[in-house]
Amino acid sequence: MAFEAKSEAGYTIVSMDETRLDASISEPFRLYLFDQIDSGSDQMIIDLASVRFMDSSGLGVLVAALKKMAGQGALKLAAPQPAVEDLFNLTSMDKLFTITPTVAKAIEG
Amino acid sequence: MTDDQGQTLRLEIDSDLANTTLIAMAVRGLCAMTALSPVEVNRVELCVVEIVNNAIEHAYEHEKGHKVEVAAHLAQSALTLTVSDWGKAMVKGKLESASMPIDLDDPALWLDSGRGLPIVQNLMDSVSYHRNGDKNSFVMLKHIKS
Repeated sequence: MAFEAKSEAGYTIVSMDETRLDASISEPFRLYLFDQIDSGSDQMIIDLASVRFMDSSGLGVLVAALKKMAGQGALKLAAPQPAVEDLFNLTSMDKLFTITPTVAKAIEG
Repeated sequence: MTDDQGQTLRLEIDSDLANTTLIAMAVRGLCAMTALSPVEVNRVELCVVEIVNNAIEHAYEHEKGHKVEVAAHLAQSALTLTVSDWGKAMVKGKLESASMPIDLDDPALWLDSGRGLPIVQNLMDSVSYHRNGDKNSFVMLKHIKS
């Protein structure tokens, strides 16, 4: 599994070389995000463009990261694919996160 | 195609979370033979993954080397998925009490786990859980509108 972070316009943009964000990689992904937050990333965008499938474990990691930020800074989700967007709607997590169609839109604000 | 009696496909994986993708892809393939919409196919995939995850994480407590079986029964009007394990049974009443409350103003209530069962209950037309001897089976039914 490969997660990657880059800095752009004041944001840490996290992307992944994975099509499935599921229980088999949720723990390493959680550790990666927590490490980014512990390293001072408080303006974060998670680029979900490559993720075609997400289960409740993947969703749980995003919620855990949001909780860890404890209202300090911002965590935005960008470019969710249809099945992922459906999961956010089904669980009402679309109300919890700022979700944008592209990373560029997330940066714009 | 299937006749009125339907046809059953049995799949078996070792209790390793990395193997759930195999089940997911097989179930997607089966769904492609039906009139389920792309959104419904995605949702059926999500449900089967959630329940297989549950079997591995809770029935077998993440221990590899155990059998998880998925029986997919496809008939004209419904797809029935039965996920079975031979591990620890689900706590009685857990299925009935599954819910996913959300309070946007209280981060303490933002659950980072426990959404699997309520998602499945919400998306499937019926769900049930049975223990027969040492075999636990979670049964999910999705109606197919032609």
